[in-house]
Amino acid sequence: MAAADVSTGATREPTPSPLRSAVIVGGNRIPFARTGGAYVKSSNQDMLTAALDGLIARFGLQDERIGEVAAGAVLKHSRDFNLTREAVLGSALSPETPAYDLQQACATGLETVIGLSNKIKLGQIDSAIAGGVDSASDAPIAVSEGLREILLDLNRAKTAVQKLKIIGRIRPKDLAPDAPNTGEPRTGLSMGEHQALTTAQWKIAREAQDELAYNSHRNLAAAYERGFFDDLITPYRGLSRDSNLRADTTLEKLASLKPVFGKSLGSEATMTAGNSTPLTDGASTVLLATEEWADAHGLPKLATVLDGEAAAVDFVHGKDGLLMAPVFAVPRMLARHGLTFEDIDFFEIHEAFAGTVLSTLAAWEDEEFGRTRLGLDGALGKVDRAKLNVNGSSLAAGHPFAATGGRIVASLAKMLHEKGAVDGRPARGLISVCAAGGQGVVALLEAA
Amino acid sequence: MTGPQPVVLGELPSLSKLYVNAATTAARRRVLGTSAGRKLPAVSHEVRNVRADVGNLTAYQHLVGETASDILPAGYVHALAFPVSMSIMNRDDFPLPLLGMIHLKNHVEQRVPIQFTEALDIRSWSANLAGHRAGTQLDVVAEVRSASSGDLLWRGISTYLAKGVFLPGIDKPGNPNGATGAGDFSPPDPTALWQLGLDTGRNYATVSGDFNPIHLSVLSAKALGLRGSIAHGMYLASRALADVGAVKAESFTWDVAFEAPVFLPARVALDIATVHSGAGSWERSDYVAWNPRSGRRHFTGRVSAVI
Repeated sequence: MAAADVSTGATREPTPSPLRSAVIVGGNRIPFARTGGAYVKSSNQDMLTAALDGLIARFGLQDERIGEVAAGAVLKHSRDFNLTREAVLGSALSPETPAYDLQQACATGLETVIGLSNKIKLGQIDSAIAGGVDSASDAPIAVSEGLREILLDLNRAKTAVQKLKIIGRIRPKDLAPDAPNTGEPRTGLSMGEHQALTTAQWKIAREAQDELAYNSHRNLAAAYERGFFDDLITPYRGLSRDSNLRADTTLEKLASLKPVFGKSLGSEATMTAGNSTPLTDGASTVLLATEEWADAHGLPKLATVLDGEAAAVDFVHGKDGLLMAPVFAVPRMLARHGLTFEDIDFFEIHEAFAGTVLSTLAAWEDEEFGRTRLGLDGALGKVDRAKLNVNGSSLAAGHPFAATGGRIVASLAKMLHEKGAVDGRPARGLISVCAAGGQGVVALLEAA
Repeated sequence: MTGPQPVVLGELPSLSKLYVNAATTAARRRVLGTSAGRKLPAVSHEVRNVRADVGNLTAYQHLVGETASDILPAGYVHALAFPVSMSIMNRDDFPLPLLGMIHLKNHVEQRVPIQFTEALDIRSWSANLAGHRAGTQLDVVAEVRSASSGDLLWRGISTYLAKGVFLPGIDKPGNPNGATGAGDFSPPDPTALWQLGLDTGRNYATVSGDFNPIHLSVLSAKALGLRGSIAHGMYLASRALADVGAVKAESFTWDVAFEAPVFLPARVALDIATVHSGAGSWERSDYVAWNPRSGRRHFTGRVSAVI
């Protein structure tokens, strides 16, 4: 049979499908709220559904069967094993829309965009919705490890005597609940403490961190003022702006805050509540599609997802800082396209802490680091500060972990679309998101 | 129709006070042998500028299985209007005893989606006093309008039965009015199975404010002549409405007719059948709920697009 097929021209060979473009049609998020604020009782599913329904309303997707929806949450209840699918079922999308959950710490949202874009490029799906959500207010609380084991044994016990014996094992200490925290399991250090080590290592000054935070608030406030977010945000629970935004903050106010991280380090502590992101609740979504799908639905094409790259660092014994993985991912991705920082028009570097952004920039500007660690001839390059987080970032907007990627992608796609062409080529934007576990995900977008 | 002359109340009446007052009125009427007459009060009650409490709204949405969106579920609007309706039934000149009244059916028109931030004017009155084979029935109408525009957003008609109360001059109908007997019902395959705990009534009372003793505990229900506590009809209907889901249009009508009460704890089988028009748009969803062991029907209803 096989020989016959070959001799007759191999009509059964599958046609290889050329890669297609994955375009960003638009996005929608709910305003981010400081923890314990406007969304205090809203669950991850509530917020993701709210963001999704806003996207559906904006782009007329009622009853539409989308190729696939992917989203996730970092702080997730075990009952939410199908969080994204449940949000789809609660939304106005066709119930025949498949969905899956993804979890990659703070890179969750950006990774859903990259993964779904790849499916679109490969020809597996024509449309997709990427997203993420997190609630620090409605966080899961687990029972203690001791009580959990006792309860599982109790469930397996057959007789009343066995059950009584097992219940007798419960001690008062077992009743203390186990709340999630941002500590790294292998080091016991919180994310802030880890960043404080990196901030000190790269000798980032307090003033530089405060200035970055100040610019984040100022830029975000200005973006709201000129209506930039009008088609990127739908109000929820009475909020129409990110509640962490302090439009009236000043460098003096930021300078007056007391350090909260790195106080036990030998050097001076520089990280405050002002130049670190607060715990936040929120959700974001991004609509992705092929160009044909967007055209057929009469929808805009803001930008294409050119590429993505993940990296990880060996932070456990201090070889690199916990949040420094994007430093390695960016040069690898740029090299693939023969691009340098000169070819990038917007830099979106997630502001987990001001110190993270500044340490990242410092590493890229360091000759020796470029040679010894990045394998380059010298420094990777200097990021033009006028191109950095021009509409504000997480220090002002807040950072509901898995929702940050979608916030950045939708905003950057709109910025690239507004910019259009630069020197006869499409405007380009770079996204960098650091994540727990020493990981990082970066992506490259281009105006469509 | 906007009902008879309104009496404007300063604020939403407290349901717990209304229930206490209903109990004392019932006792007084029993001791004195007095009755309030045989006519419905010729007034409506109105409360202006009512706003949903967002914490209470979220708790309600989670309890009945709705996503916590910014739109008020139709059943939540019923709960919001309920104290005004109760205050009508609590008037001294209301002819029927409020306590022990049975909820027969409910008809709701959700004309426009209501944002939780919207200020609402709520008006309620009673109408259509009529005989029933088991007593006397009446309708309690509630209308919810936008306080700013005056537009009618939501309208509900609740039909109640005062069992065993026969008012002079009101004839009972010759036949049970066309209701199919429970014996005719053969349960379909369920699309859902609800597990309702003993605390179902208390939980709904907490979010709706409806602390009618028949829903709270076995003891309080027995005091009113029931063999145990029963689930609120509007809790069951609201869960069915939530199960119908996002397929429904923004404007819809929602009907429910209650049959055998759901004694707690309970397992309730539910079937929802969705009907689409030839063009593929949603037309209506029919639902029926029953006891999976006995096959007795608990309630039937329908959510329909407004044409």
